[in-house]
Amino acid sequence: MSGTALLELEDVGISFGGLRAVDGLSFHVDEGQIVGLIGPNGAGKTTVFNMVTGVYRPTDGRIRFQGRDITGRSPHVVARQGVMRTFQTIRLFAGMSVLENVLAGQHLRTRQLWWQGLLATPGQRREEAELLARTHATLERLGLSDVAGEIATSLPYGVQRRVELARTLVADPSLLILDEPAAGLNDRESAALNDTIREIRDSGVTVLLVEHDMNVVMNVTDSIVVINFGRKIAEGTPSVIQNDPAVIEAYLGQDDDEDDEAAGGLEA
Amino acid sequence: MAAGERRASLALARRAAGPVLWLAGLFVPVLLGGSWVSIMAIFAIYAVVALSQDIVLGRAGMYDMGHAVPFGVGAYVTAILNTTFHWPILATWPVAIVVAAVIGAALAAPIVKLRGDYLLVATIGFNIIFVLAMGNDVLGLTGGPDGIFGVGVPHVLGRALSSQGALFYLDWLVLALVLLMMRNLERSRVGRVFRYLKEDELAATTLGVDARYYKILAFAIGAGLAGAAGTLFAVQLASVSPGSFVFTESVTLFAIVLVGGQASIPGVLLGTALMFVVPQVFRGLAQYRYFVFGIAMVLVMVLRPQGIWPRGRGRP
Repeated sequence: MSGTALLELEDVGISFGGLRAVDGLSFHVDEGQIVGLIGPNGAGKTTVFNMVTGVYRPTDGRIRFQGRDITGRSPHVVARQGVMRTFQTIRLFAGMSVLENVLAGQHLRTRQLWWQGLLATPGQRREEAELLARTHATLERLGLSDVAGEIATSLPYGVQRRVELARTLVADPSLLILDEPAAGLNDRESAALNDTIREIRDSGVTVLLVEHDMNVVMNVTDSIVVINFGRKIAEGTPSVIQNDPAVIEAYLGQDDDEDDEAAGGLEA
Repeated sequence: MAAGERRASLALARRAAGPVLWLAGLFVPVLLGGSWVSIMAIFAIYAVVALSQDIVLGRAGMYDMGHAVPFGVGAYVTAILNTTFHWPILATWPVAIVVAAVIGAALAAPIVKLRGDYLLVATIGFNIIFVLAMGNDVLGLTGGPDGIFGVGVPHVLGRALSSQGALFYLDWLVLALVLLMMRNLERSRVGRVFRYLKEDELAATTLGVDARYYKILAFAIGAGLAGAAGTLFAVQLASVSPGSFVFTESVTLFAIVLVGGQASIPGVLLGTALMFVVPQVFRGLAQYRYFVFGIAMVLVMVLRPQGIWPRGRGRP
């Protein structure tokens, strides 16, 4: 299936007051791929994600998903197209169990109406049982079954990241957007994350991720888009990006002595 | 094994506690009689209103400090249709519920995008306008500052529920139905979505939740239930007047939910009992009701911000 553009950004830009956070950005994510969006701190990566998912409305340009224009649509409308995301700062529902958190991911496939919920009609109860079964299957898949009844926000950071991931996966997204999924993970957890991301891709979900952990970026992505100061400075496969002088400069500055180190750092 | 059995019996006791207490309540007219019957009837009515306030405040997390409005709308609709247009009480009931829900939704629509304290101030405004409107005899229907007298009693299968005992049973039955609905809410999408919105609106919307729709829906459901209680209230007092639906009533309902425990059914019932039943036990001290409740509010907020009987953890 790879080759068709699932997500396309065309000349997208956004200004916050006088600040041009993203400018003239164009790239596309092909179906069945894992695409990395990288760049130094403050480059505008999360802003791009926020525009794609409808949290911010771009000031210029077009964003298309499966050929449909989704520019400036509300987050819940974008979600309905099959775009799910995680957050850089984990956003779980505090005070609710892991199970309840992951159930939230099935909101869009739930058919029951509000009055059926109030009256607990037989159809509603049947659907609840199905939702629970599917949620438990996803928890099992991500190794979260043991903590299903725990308050999500009381768990260790790495586990919370997996809960957030489970919440998006249970929605069966077409495109999964991960905002720094490896942040705060230890080496073992981030290695496991690599496998998880590949498994997700192999199950037919396209993945777009922002990540600082080069171990993850270089090992799992099929292609990488590099931005700096809101503009695209490079695009290509991991091996091309690792040797791109503009990228090395953006990350480590222009000092000639550090070029070797820079390349080494990106390969790590 | 013994520990497991003890846990299982404890869980059973917790599940059974509610129905047992409700059944015990059925004996109030027989065993206690007298003023206790009307005290418990009032408790049941206000428990329904407090539970409906909890949907908006405790579950959906919106600071609604005008919840006396839909309660009053329900009471006035029943009173007007019954006294002016001579509708039977039971026929006015669905109208009271629908009108309260529609007004609740219509008032909420322009303000649900407001956050926290801003929403609260807007709802206070609605409450003040409502009381002023009722007091000014709107359309010549609401009876002015004295309200409307002579509200009749419901007739069921040709029999008038004219005694306090009969009305108590009606109120008690309605309370049971509302409690069942609240329990169902816990196990339904709509109930969960309200809580998602309270905890993290942005995360909820990125999962596909239409925040505006569900926030208005929370107001509408809360208002509909409050309207249902309004009908019972008009019947219980055989009259309605603006004084029953003033801003301080809304504050009381708000406080019941916060002090009792947000999104906690036993917490809200406990809060209602503290506000409406306990003062009746200490009749001589009734004038200190707000004083005592005020101190209780301060103490609870400082010492136990999650409420006296907070919500249990989520279902495993």
